[in-house]
Amino acid sequence: MTREWLLTDAPQTRRQARLGALYQGWLTFRANRLAVLGLVILVLLLLIAAFAPWISPQNPFAQDLADRLKPPSAQHWLGTDALGRDILSRLIHGSRVTLFIVGTVALIAPVIGLFIGTVAGFAGGWVDQVLMRVTDIFLAFPKLILALAFVAALGPSIANAVLALAVTSWPAYARLARAETLTIRNADYIAAARLQGAGPLRLLIGHIWPLCVSSLIVRVALDMAGIILSAAGLGFLGLGAQPPTPEWGAMISDGRTYILDFWWVAAMPGMAIFVVSLAFNFLGDGLRDVLDPKGGRE
Amino acid sequence: MKQFPLRAALLATAVCIAPIAHAETPADTLVVAAQIDDIISLDPAQSFEFSGNDVDNNLYDRLVDFDPLDQNAGIKPSLAEGWEVTDGGKTITLTMRDGVKFHSGNPVRAEDAAWSLQRAVKLNKSPAFILNQFGFTPANVDQMITADGNKIILKLDQPYAQSFVLNCLASNVASVVDKETVIANAEGEDFGNAWLSTNDAGSGPYKLATWRPNEAVQFTANDEYWQGAPTMKRVIVRHVQESSAQRLLLEQGDIDVARNLTPTDVEGLAGNDALTVGTEPKGRILYMGLSQKDPILSKPEVVEAMKYLVDYAGMEGSFLKGQWKTHQNFLPEGYLGASEDNPWTYDIEKASQILTDAGITSGTVKTVVRDIREYIDVAQTLQGAMAQVGLTLEIQQMTGAQVLDAYRARQVPIFIGEWGPDYADPNTNASTFAYNPNNADDAKLSQLAWRNSWAVPDDMNKATIAATLEGDTDKRIQMYQDIQQEYREIAPIIPLFQKIEQVGIQKNVKNWTTGGAVSSVFYRQVTKE
Repeated sequence: MTREWLLTDAPQTRRQARLGALYQGWLTFRANRLAVLGLVILVLLLLIAAFAPWISPQNPFAQDLADRLKPPSAQHWLGTDALGRDILSRLIHGSRVTLFIVGTVALIAPVIGLFIGTVAGFAGGWVDQVLMRVTDIFLAFPKLILALAFVAALGPSIANAVLALAVTSWPAYARLARAETLTIRNADYIAAARLQGAGPLRLLIGHIWPLCVSSLIVRVALDMAGIILSAAGLGFLGLGAQPPTPEWGAMISDGRTYILDFWWVAAMPGMAIFVVSLAFNFLGDGLRDVLDPKGGRE
Repeated sequence: MKQFPLRAALLATAVCIAPIAHAETPADTLVVAAQIDDIISLDPAQSFEFSGNDVDNNLYDRLVDFDPLDQNAGIKPSLAEGWEVTDGGKTITLTMRDGVKFHSGNPVRAEDAAWSLQRAVKLNKSPAFILNQFGFTPANVDQMITADGNKIILKLDQPYAQSFVLNCLASNVASVVDKETVIANAEGEDFGNAWLSTNDAGSGPYKLATWRPNEAVQFTANDEYWQGAPTMKRVIVRHVQESSAQRLLLEQGDIDVARNLTPTDVEGLAGNDALTVGTEPKGRILYMGLSQKDPILSKPEVVEAMKYLVDYAGMEGSFLKGQWKTHQNFLPEGYLGASEDNPWTYDIEKASQILTDAGITSGTVKTVVRDIREYIDVAQTLQGAMAQVGLTLEIQQMTGAQVLDAYRARQVPIFIGEWGPDYADPNTNASTFAYNPNNADDAKLSQLAWRNSWAVPDDMNKATIAATLEGDTDKRIQMYQDIQQEYREIAPIIPLFQKIEQVGIQKNVKNWTTGGAVSSVFYRQVTKE
C-alpha cells in the first residue's frame, strides 16, 4: 500500500477507494497542527485513564490529615488537598470518571438525536410535528438547569449525572439530523433506491443515517468540551460524583474554600478540565475540516 | 458559586469606603461586625435566633442571670434578689429588687415580671416551650404565675429541680418587659408583639436606638442602669456578611470586633500586633448518630468500634482547627453537670480488633450528608477510617432540607450534624440525646434518640426525668455525670466535638464575651484601654 496507490484518481476496488478517502482525510487533519495536538492530548488521556492504577504515584483515597494542603513538592507533585490526599493521583484517577461521563454521554445523546431527527425529517407530517415540538420543549430550558433538575429529582450520582446530561443534550443533534434528512430525502438516489423496492426502514438506516453521521460527529466533538464542563459543573454543585470519587469538578468545589491561600487545590483540577476541553475543541475543529462536505475544501 | 461575585463586590466596596489612614473607633463606642440577617423579631417572647437573642440580652434583664465575666459560676440573682422553694419544690417565690426602673422610667414590679412570663406563654411563639415544660399553658398561666406585692410566685406541676427552673428563667424568653408600655402599644390581642418586635421595653444596660434589618443595630447606654452605667456609651452592630470583609474592616480599625471569621481569616490575623483572637466554647455539639435501624450499625460492637474510627485529634488539628474541639459528652462544657471525660481516641487497630472479635469483617453503609464543607470532610475522614477495617461508607451529598426530612423520617443511617441547646439547663440536651419514651416509627418524636431509632434503656429514660426533679443541685450534677457515664458506654449517638467561637478583637478592647455556652453576648462589662 503505497502513497500513490492510496491517492490514485482511479481506484481499482472499493476497498482502495475507501482507504484512499480515509488517507486523504488524515492528510487534511494532519495539516491542522492544533487538531493533532488535541488528538495527542486525548490519546494521552486515554492511556492515563487506562493505566491509572499503575501510573498514579499514590493511593488517591489515602488521607493524611497531618500532611494536608501542602504545596507542590517532590513527594506530592501537585500538592495535597484538604484531607491530605495526593492531588496528582486524584487527577489521574479522575480522568477515568471524566472519560466515562464524556464517553457515555457522547454515545447516548447523538444516537437519540439521530434517531428522532431522521425519523422526524423522513416521515414528515404529524410525526415530524410531534417530535420537533418535543425537541422544542427540551430546547426551551437552559441545558445545565434542566440537568440540575433531573439530578435533583433522581438523586446525586455519576450515573444520574450522565443520564441527565444525555437527556438534555440530544435535542441539538435531533435538529441537525432532521435538517440533513430534509435535504437528502428528495435526492435522486433515494428515489432510485425506493424504486428498487427499499422500504422506509432500509432507506433510513442504509441511506440516510450514514450521510447524517459525519456532521453529527463534528458536532459531538465540538460539544465534548461543553459536556465536560457541564459534568464538572454538576460535580462542583455536589450533584455529580459523590465523595471520595476524585471527579474533577468536585475537586474544584473542594478547593474553593481554600482558593486564596492554597490555590493549587482548586487550580490543578481546573487546569486538567481546561486542557482536556481545549483538546476536544481542537479535535473538533480538525474533524470538521475533514468530515464537513460543505466546508471550504477547494 | 454565587458567593464569589458578592464577595468580590463587598471587598471592592470595603476597599473604596475605607479610609486610607488607620481609623480608630471612638473611645466610648463599641463597633461590632456580625452576620445579623437571622433576626426575625426583637420581642423576647418570640426571638429564638442567635442574633436576636444577642440584642435582647442587652436590652432586657431577667429575673436571674449569668455573670458575663464568669458564666461557669452559674445562675446569679438579677431583677430577683432572692428566691425560696416551698411546697416540696412545687412553688418558687422570687423577691423583686427594689428601685430598678425600665427605660420608660416606670418601676420594675413583680407585676411586670409575672405579666412578662404569662405573656410569653400566651403568645406561644417558638421559645415558649422553655416555660411550658413546667406545666404552664395559656389557660392556666394566670393562676400558676402570680404577683403579690414585691414577690412573684410560680406554681409548678411537678417538684422540678430549682436549678432547672432558674436556668430556664435565665433564658431570653423569660426577659422582663415593661407591662404598661407594652399594653399601651398593643394591637388587638397581640400583647404588643408587633410593636415589641422593633422596639424595646426593657430595663437592661442598653436602650435600642435603631434596628435596620440586614444593616445594623444601634444601642445607647442606659445611664440609670442598676448595676452601674456601662462604659461603652454606644454599641453599633453592623451586618457584614463576608468573613473577608469583616477581616478587612478589623485590620483597618473601622470595627472593634469581628464575629464571623473563617479559620483562614483568623490565621491571617496572627501577624497583626493591634489585634487578638478571642476564643469561647459555645453550646453546639457536632455529633454522629448511628441509626439503630441499620442492620450493621445496630450491632453494639460496631457502635463501639465507630467511636475509635473518628480521628478526633487529626480533625481538631486540621480542618476543624479553632472552630471545634474534641468533646465526647452530650453536655457541652459550661453546662451544669458537664463532663470533661473524653475516653476515645483514633485507634484503627482497636476498632479492627473489636470488629474481628465480633466476626464483622465487611459491610456497606449508605448515608446522606448535608452539603456543608465541614460535615463532608468529617464524613470523608470517617469513610477513610472505616475502609481500613473493611467497612464501606457510601456518602451522598444533599441539601440541609433534604437531609433533615430524611432524618425526621428516621432514614439517615449515619447522621453527621450539629445540635444546639435551647436553654441553659442540662435537660435541654439530656432530654433529646438520652430520652426516648416511644421508639415506634409512628411516634414522630423530635428527640435525637428517636430519630436514630435508639430505644433508650428504661433506667436511662427514668434517670433523665429524675434529674429534672432533684432539688439538691450537687446531687443533680452527679446524676448527670452518671447518665453521661452510662451514655458513653452504650449510646449510638456519639458526641464528637464542641463548637468554639473565635472572634477577632482590637487589643484595646477588654472583657469581651459572647456569652459562652449558656448565654448570649453581653456588652455592659466591655471597656477600652
